[in-house]
Amino acid sequence: MDQLLQQLINALSLGGIYAMLALGLAIVFSIVGLINFAHGDIMTFGGYGIFLSMVFGFPPVAALCIGLGAAVVMALAMERTAFRVMRGADVISLLITSFAVSEILKVLFQNGISARPVPISFPASWSGSYQIGGMTIGVAPTASILVTILSLGCLTFVLRRLAIGMAMRAAAEDFDMLRMLGVRANRVVAAAFAISGLLAGVAAVIWTAQRGSVDPMMGFFPVLKAFIATVLGGLGSLGGAVLGGFVIGTLEVLTQAFLPDALAPYRDAIVLSAVIAVLLVRPDGLLPARSGARS
Amino acid sequence: MKLKSLLLGTAIAAIGTASFAEDYVIGVMSAQSGYLAPYDGPAYAGFKFCMDEKMANGGLNGTTPVRLIVKDTRSDIAFGVQVVQEMLDDGAQFIVSSADADPTIAAAQITAADMVPTMTFAGTAPVLTQVGPHVFGSYPGDNQQGAVLAAYARDQGFEKAWLLTSPDSAYTLGGPRYFGEVFEANGGEVVGESTFSLNQPDFSAIVTNIQNAETAPDVIVTWAWEPDFPAFIRALRGAGVDTQVMGGDVLDTPTVRGLGEVVDGVVHTSGGFPEEGSDYAAFIKRFEEATGTTPDNNYYVNGCDIADMIEQAVAAAGTTDPAAVSAAMAEIENGKGTMSNFTFKGTDRMPLRDVVVARITGDGEKEFVLRQMADPETLPKP
Repeated sequence: MDQLLQQLINALSLGGIYAMLALGLAIVFSIVGLINFAHGDIMTFGGYGIFLSMVFGFPPVAALCIGLGAAVVMALAMERTAFRVMRGADVISLLITSFAVSEILKVLFQNGISARPVPISFPASWSGSYQIGGMTIGVAPTASILVTILSLGCLTFVLRRLAIGMAMRAAAEDFDMLRMLGVRANRVVAAAFAISGLLAGVAAVIWTAQRGSVDPMMGFFPVLKAFIATVLGGLGSLGGAVLGGFVIGTLEVLTQAFLPDALAPYRDAIVLSAVIAVLLVRPDGLLPARSGARS
Repeated sequence: MKLKSLLLGTAIAAIGTASFAEDYVIGVMSAQSGYLAPYDGPAYAGFKFCMDEKMANGGLNGTTPVRLIVKDTRSDIAFGVQVVQEMLDDGAQFIVSSADADPTIAAAQITAADMVPTMTFAGTAPVLTQVGPHVFGSYPGDNQQGAVLAAYARDQGFEKAWLLTSPDSAYTLGGPRYFGEVFEANGGEVVGESTFSLNQPDFSAIVTNIQNAETAPDVIVTWAWEPDFPAFIRALRGAGVDTQVMGGDVLDTPTVRGLGEVVDGVVHTSGGFPEEGSDYAAFIKRFEEATGTTPDNNYYVNGCDIADMIEQAVAAAGTTDPAAVSAAMAEIENGKGTMSNFTFKGTDRMPLRDVVVARITGDGEKEFVLRQMADPETLPKP
C-alpha cells in the first residue's frame, strides 16, 4: 500500500509537468491554431537561463527566477519573430515553421553553449526526503506537485478573473469576433505566448531541479509527451490538456512500477496503445474543446 | 602553343594525381550534432591533434602522408551509412566510425565488401566487432570494464547488486549485465533489475521499486549516460537512498562530476587516468598548449591512440592495402598507446587494455582507485 501511494505521488509529480507543458501548447493552439513544437526549446532555454545564472554566481532561487524570465522572453521573441508573420497560415505551414524554429534553437544551444549536458548543482537540501508513516517522500517531487497546483491555480485566476484572461478565452472561442469587438489581436496572442512561456519556465525549473542537468534536447521528449496529452485531452481544450497530462504521467509511472520484467521494454508502446484506445472511443479527446479540432 | 599548354596541363594533373594517390586516405564519421556529438567531438579533436603531429613529421611512420575526409553524420545512422559510402567512393582506405556500437555496426556493413578496416571512436559494446574481421574497437570493452568493476565491488565486500539497464542500446544493456555475470561468478548476488528508456523523463518509479525491494541491494550498477544518469542519481538521493552506485566509463565526464554532493562517492570505470608524469598527462599538456582547450575526458586521448593504432598497423602491414592493414591490426600485441597500451592479438578485436576504477568526490573531482587489466580467460562473452 505504501509503495502504491509513493508511486501515485511520483505520478502526480510527473503528470504535473506534462500538464503544464500541455497547457502551454493548448493555450497557443486554441488561439492561433499553432501546435508549437518549439515549446520544448522554450523550456530548454529556461533551463539554460538557470545554468548560466548559477555560472555567473547568482544564488539558486534567483537563478530559478531568471530561468522563468528567460522562458517568457524566449516565448515572446518566438511569437514576434517567427509566428506573427505566419499568422493566418494553415496548420501545416505553422507546424513546419515551429519545427524549423526548434531545429535552429537546438543548433544554437549546441554550438553556443555545449552539445553535451551541463550540470546544475542545487543545494543538497533540495534533494532531501521526509517520512510520512512508512513512506519516504522526496522534497523535489513534493515541491513539484505544490508548484504545479499553485501554477494551475494562478492560471485559472488569470483566465477567469482578469480581462486579458477573458479575452484569451474569448479568442479561443472566436478570434475574429473578438477582433471585431476592438480587442487588439497582437496583445492577446502575445499574452498567450507569455503564459505558455511561463508554464514552460515553471516546467524547466522543476525538471532541472529533479534531473540536475540541461542539454539541447532537454525539452524535446517532455513536449512530445505533452503533445500526446493535449490530443488525449482534446486538442485546444485547456482542461483537457491538464487532464491528459496527468493521465499520461500516471500511466507512465504505473507501467514503470508494476509491469512484469518481460513486458518492461514495451512500456511506451503500452502507454500509447492505451491512448489510441481512448481516442477510438472518444475521438475528440477526454474533454473536447467546444470548437476544437478533431484529434 | 595550344599543344604545349595541353601537355603542360596534363603533366601537372598527372603529378597532382600521383602525389594524391600516395596519401593514405582515412574517412572519419564525426557527429557534429545529436546524441553522439559529445563523444565524437572530443574524440575527433584528439585524433586530429595527433594526426597533425604525425603529419608534421612526414606522415604515418614518417613516410606515409595522410588525407582525412571528415563528414558529419548528425548522429543519424541512416545518414551515417550514406556518409561512409561517400567516403569509400572518395578513396577512403580506413574508416574511423562514431563512438557507439550501432553506427559502427551499420558502417561496417558497407566497408565489409572491400575489408576496409573500421574502428569506432569509443564504442565499447563487444558485439560491435562481430560484424566481421575488419571491425575494431579502440576502448576497453564493456565486458572488460564490467569484469574489473565487479571484482572491485566484491573486494569491497558488496554482496547484493541491483542492475539498472536499458534495452535501447547495447551499451546500457550490456555493461551492467557483464558486471552481474562476473559479480555472481565471484560469489555475489544480483537481487533485482530495472529497465529504463533512453531520455526517460522520470526515474522516481524505479527508485521507489528499489526502496521497496524484498532484498535491499548494497550496490546499484548502471551504464546509464547523460542526461539519464543525472536524473536517476538525483531521484535516488532525493528519495533518501544512499546505496553505493557504480557505473561505466560514461560517468567519467565533467557533467556528472559537476552534479555536486549527489554524486559524492559514485565509483565508475574509465579507460585511463592522467597520473603525474604519465604519457597521458604529457598529452594533456601538449594539447592545452596547442589548442587552448583542456581535454576533460578520455575521448580526446583515445582519439589520439586511434592515430597510433593506425600507424602501428600500417607499419606492421608494410602496405596501405585495406585487407592487409586489417590483418596487421588484429595481430598487434602490447601496442604503445598514450592512455594505455593495447593488444588485439588473441581477442575478438576489442583491444585488451587497462581499466581504471575511479571515485567521484563531492567537490567535482575524481580520485584514482585502481588500474587493472581484465583476465581474458574469465571475460563474459558478448
